[in-house]
Amino acid sequence: MAIGKFGARDAGPVSRRTLLRAGAGLAGGALLPSGLILPALAEDQPALGTWPDGSSGSSVFVGISVPRTGTYAAAGEDLIKGYELAIEHLNAGSEIMTKISPNIKKGVLGKEVKYGIADSEAKPNTAVQNLTKFISDNKAIMVTGSVSSAEAVADNKTADREKVIYLVGISGSNDTTGKDCVRYSFRECFYGQTAAKAIMPVLIKNLGKNKKVAYLTPDYTYGHTVQKSMEEFGNEGGWTKATDQVSPLGTTDFSSYLLNVANSGADVVVNINFGRDAVLSIKQAKQFGILDKMTLVVPYNTPFLAKEVGADTMQGVFAATDYWWTLEDTNPIAKMFNDAFRAKYQYSPEWSANLAYAQIAMWADALERAKSFYPPDVIKAYEAGAKVQSTVGEVFFRGADHQLVRPVVIERGKKPADMKTPEDFYDIVEVVPGEGLMQSPTEFGCKLGSYT
Amino acid sequence: MLSLPNFAAQAFNGLVLGALLALIASGLTIIYGTLGVLNLAHGAMFMVGGYAGVVAYQYTGSYLVAVAAGSLFVMALGLLMERVVIRHFYDRPPEDQILVTFGLGIVYVELVRLTFGSLSQSMPPPSWAAGITSLGFMIYPTYRLAVVGIVAVALLALYLVLYRSRLGMIVRAGIEDAVMVDSLGIDVYRVFMIVFGIGAMAAGFAGIVNVPIAPITPDVGESILVETFVVVVIGGVGSFPGAVLGGLIAGEILSLTSMVDPAYSQVMLFLVMTFVLVVRPRGLLGEQGRA
Amino acid sequence: MIEARRGIRGLAFEGWTALALVVAPFVLPKIGFVPDTMNRVLVFGLFGVGFDLLFGFAGLLSFGQSAFFGTGGFVAAYLLTRMGLTSVMLGLAVGVVAAAVAGLLVGMIALRRTGIYFAMITVAIAEVFFFMENSPLSDYTGGENGLPGVPGPTFNFGFASVHVTGGWSMYVFLAVCYFVGLALARRIVASPVGRIFVAIRDNPLRAAAVGHDVHAYKLLAFVIAAAYAGFAGGLLGVLQGYMPPEAFTFDTSGQLIMQTVIGGLGTLIGPLVGAAVWLYLRDFLQGSLGMGASWKLALGVVFVLLVFFLRRGIVGGLSDLIALARSSARAPGKAAPGGGDDAPVFAAAPQNSNPAPPPARDPGEPEIAGPILQVRDLSKTYGGLAANSEINFSLERGELRGVIGPNGAGKSTFFKMLTCEINPSSGSIHFEGRDITNLGVTEVCQLGLSKSYQVNQLFTRLTPRENITIAALAERRGKFRLDLLRNPADIPGLSQQVHSTLALVSLTERADVPVSGLAYGEKRRLEIGLALATSPSLLLLDEPLAGMSPRERVETVKLLKSISKGRTTVIIDHDMDALFEMSERVTVLQLGKILVEGTPDEIKANAAVREAYLGGVLE
Repeated sequence: MAIGKFGARDAGPVSRRTLLRAGAGLAGGALLPSGLILPALAEDQPALGTWPDGSSGSSVFVGISVPRTGTYAAAGEDLIKGYELAIEHLNAGSEIMTKISPNIKKGVLGKEVKYGIADSEAKPNTAVQNLTKFISDNKAIMVTGSVSSAEAVADNKTADREKVIYLVGISGSNDTTGKDCVRYSFRECFYGQTAAKAIMPVLIKNLGKNKKVAYLTPDYTYGHTVQKSMEEFGNEGGWTKATDQVSPLGTTDFSSYLLNVANSGADVVVNINFGRDAVLSIKQAKQFGILDKMTLVVPYNTPFLAKEVGADTMQGVFAATDYWWTLEDTNPIAKMFNDAFRAKYQYSPEWSANLAYAQIAMWADALERAKSFYPPDVIKAYEAGAKVQSTVGEVFFRGADHQLVRPVVIERGKKPADMKTPEDFYDIVEVVPGEGLMQSPTEFGCKLGSYT
Repeated sequence: MLSLPNFAAQAFNGLVLGALLALIASGLTIIYGTLGVLNLAHGAMFMVGGYAGVVAYQYTGSYLVAVAAGSLFVMALGLLMERVVIRHFYDRPPEDQILVTFGLGIVYVELVRLTFGSLSQSMPPPSWAAGITSLGFMIYPTYRLAVVGIVAVALLALYLVLYRSRLGMIVRAGIEDAVMVDSLGIDVYRVFMIVFGIGAMAAGFAGIVNVPIAPITPDVGESILVETFVVVVIGGVGSFPGAVLGGLIAGEILSLTSMVDPAYSQVMLFLVMTFVLVVRPRGLLGEQGRA
Repeated sequence: MIEARRGIRGLAFEGWTALALVVAPFVLPKIGFVPDTMNRVLVFGLFGVGFDLLFGFAGLLSFGQSAFFGTGGFVAAYLLTRMGLTSVMLGLAVGVVAAAVAGLLVGMIALRRTGIYFAMITVAIAEVFFFMENSPLSDYTGGENGLPGVPGPTFNFGFASVHVTGGWSMYVFLAVCYFVGLALARRIVASPVGRIFVAIRDNPLRAAAVGHDVHAYKLLAFVIAAAYAGFAGGLLGVLQGYMPPEAFTFDTSGQLIMQTVIGGLGTLIGPLVGAAVWLYLRDFLQGSLGMGASWKLALGVVFVLLVFFLRRGIVGGLSDLIALARSSARAPGKAAPGGGDDAPVFAAAPQNSNPAPPPARDPGEPEIAGPILQVRDLSKTYGGLAANSEINFSLERGELRGVIGPNGAGKSTFFKMLTCEINPSSGSIHFEGRDITNLGVTEVCQLGLSKSYQVNQLFTRLTPRENITIAALAERRGKFRLDLLRNPADIPGLSQQVHSTLALVSLTERADVPVSGLAYGEKRRLEIGLALATSPSLLLLDEPLAGMSPRERVETVKLLKSISKGRTTVIIDHDMDALFEMSERVTVLQLGKILVEGTPDEIKANAAVREAYLGGVLE
């Protein structure tokens, strides 16, 4: 009885569609190119998600949900720095923004970008709660942020349900743009499979064939998939598995695993742990003398890893990453970004900050190309796959799974003596081009949903 | 992975792991045994000890100063916490004590996060314990070997305080019969405060000694706390020898299980605890009295 | 504490709650609540209803409720997403059952210990659940990614079918679920089982001694709380279309506890209020105040202050305030019993001016000839020390026996063995011809043997009427019964028994004053009343006159005489005049052995007894 009464008040997508604006036409509305910026015409579609409410004023709202407490807080805070700098640049229409997205003036489509930040505690549950709050309360036209794939997947589903665009933060799982992909979400960073495929040939080239590998694998789906990928791509160089040490998330003492590694007779240690687990396992591997005998490989680098474990430990370590600041030597956009970042925060950006910055810039670019805030228009602008010049070179979003096709940076830890500045931790060994690296969009079962 | 050298190595490593757990657990257990308070902020105090020590290290560069600073700071924090908060909870239900220490634990963690941020902090081992030592059947980080000695000394000191001093007599009498101690005209509150301080110091000491092994972040206390619970339950709540024995058993379980299936080493710990509870509910060395 | 009063105003609380749930969507959004937040408040409120039954009523603080929250949630989500189950309600129901079964298994282990031990064990077991979800079972649970795609329920009303998605339709669905859960919990609280939960929290030892199977009731509370947790977990998945793995983490349990304490323990709606405050402050501190990462610190401080100063949480504090306002509005001098809404649920007293003691129970079978109690060669040693040695003792049916002896003669040890509080080292005890030597105190009480304690063992947070009711319930219902939804007033003869017991121990006038407000003599009489209310056929009274004024003694002796009519009674006391006046026979213990036994006159004349007491006391 009560349900029937309240059913009419339902604010879900079904009833939103019935809230037609006066004069709006239904049929074909969604297909009209909304080429004109005149608001009256842009509203020729039924309301969808936070559209048009979220973009009817002089400013638009963006919701950022990242961990600020808990184990992943450090990466979360770095993401925030990237977001804040990007939004500041966007509203100022700064030069670097126009390099990435030539059409940008000030703000997006002439509207100032405002934002809110909420602590996700790296918990999917809290992340969903934050997003929902941003969407229903602040009428956010875009939400973003995550430091784990669990968060990203949960955010994906929420954004898709609410019909609001979501930009993935850090998420290394194949599934985020694979079987858990959605129409409303876009990912900038690469993922486990790509990392393995990018770094393995470089390793074989540098370390030789027929090596024995010990794996340190965190005990969750992501860890196991990356481990499998590494093993698979290693086979091509005759690399074999000596041992796979699986540790629970949040392990603080790796000694028993490391002893097993030390006794395994391996030549190479592949450490798939992320975040604090990576820091601890590497530091302790150093204490056990393992790094003196075996080469350490980190297929998916953690922000601030070198800073936390120290250059002495990181020397000779191979890692795959999204971004390292010395890309500025060859890429002028990276140089501009680094300079602006250093000016504001007094250190060189990690890949998390770069990711956040790039996501915002490319989102603004998609908006400018769509010339509309109507979500399906924006998504189609993304899906058009326009080439964008970013801090890591030329990149584009794939229409079929919303994954950014982007290069993977393979870096190697420098000897402390060779470091030119205290932050000069890595040599860039190779920048592996993204095309040909990433699996085909169908490989992990991506089925994007509907636009409306 | 099952080979004799590896078994020997893991068994030895279990001892090292267990030593630290034993120290932390004995702090928790003497506080509970004497005051009847389960301090859920104990993990947070472990963490605070680490941070206080690291700060001292950054100013002085001395390991010994860092260890002293970490221990003393947490002891002071313990004394203050007992005087300002815990004292008002002795006549309240035990659940209230659990709740208030749980809340204080969160406050400590977030205060540290606010002050130092979320990036991990670390400190190198002292120069006399740097590097690696070969034990014949294995090579092992020298500092970890040193930690066994350091913890053994700390446990011995605790033992002397608990079993060979006047304070210790009062404390142990208190564990057996709080009413009796009360009637002897001893200032029980002062004893309680000191015991709380000593128990906290054990956690703080372990916290800073552990930093060269594992850099600290504000959250480290939570997992340590849960492991400490397991140790205390296995050994017997309120029993100092029980905490030491429980710690060593836990260390061995964690280490030896990793040879068979590393993913199960944590869970094995909980299963053993459950088994102990079924077979001997009061814990291996627990007294019948307190529960 | 909530006391559901049946009758005209009996459902007022439910009415107000329903009204609040209906009004909330129109009011709360004005202060910044969004539907999603309100929905989460309802889920955590429901989770908390079960937890409050467990902690607030039965007094069991579990830090492992996340295990059941996650179990219910993942079982439901798995059925709905991977198994193709279409009925959401069925999925939720299976989740509840799974959580309850998990609760039963975990409870059987964790409840081996109490208090702090129990809390620690629950933490550890919950960790195992989290590990299982995350690792060995990740093929079923999605591991760290959880299970996305949990559908919302669809209801077919014949004329229209409503599919619940997000927003307000979800609110209505959850509000109905919450309301049903709350109403059910209120019935449980008001039922005999609920009363016994409270008694166990207050004094588990006495609850067992009056004949309740404390362990079984604790397990029941644990299973009920697990079922509620499982239901809430299932709803969480339905609410957000996604079942998150962190449902299993320690944080979830911690948040539940904090919310329940902030809202108010033992109020049932406290957790809902606590969740609302928690989630609102969380958004408010981060959003409006822009506190960033320090929001958690602020909430932690708020929590500590609440535990420190506002012991009964927000709801408890408010109801205390209302009670205060009401009682000061009333005519001074007439004490408000329990205050305001806290009027007792217990059987309203029928007027009966001629109290008779509750009859000794009928053994049910043809009376066994011979003594009602037969003790042979009973010994108890502690270490090497003999507290009792080789006691032979027998009681005739209907006898009133006095037991005396100097301090340290082993009288209390002897009594404790008779009531099976401690097991003898050797020897045997037969009661009504049955060997009870190694039974527990609860079983023995159920057989009709009960004791009043030397040191008061009352349910101190309850009133005398409630105290007596707890004891009488054990006799009426047996040691365990699952009458979760029964109104105690419907139990035949219960109110009569409570009333007459109260009248007998002269506490009718004071029946609704909290025990803490009673005078010492009144507490002593209540202590006797507790033993008496179980209608024992053999009543043991351990120093019933201790600490009484001469006038109180006279009255109590009169009382003891009247209750000993028609039942067998044994009294230990130091007041020999009183004992000699009442008893037919007297047994003298010395140094753990029986010194002599005989009529009062024989005892008075016995030289050995005079010697034992150094001639001082017997004049």
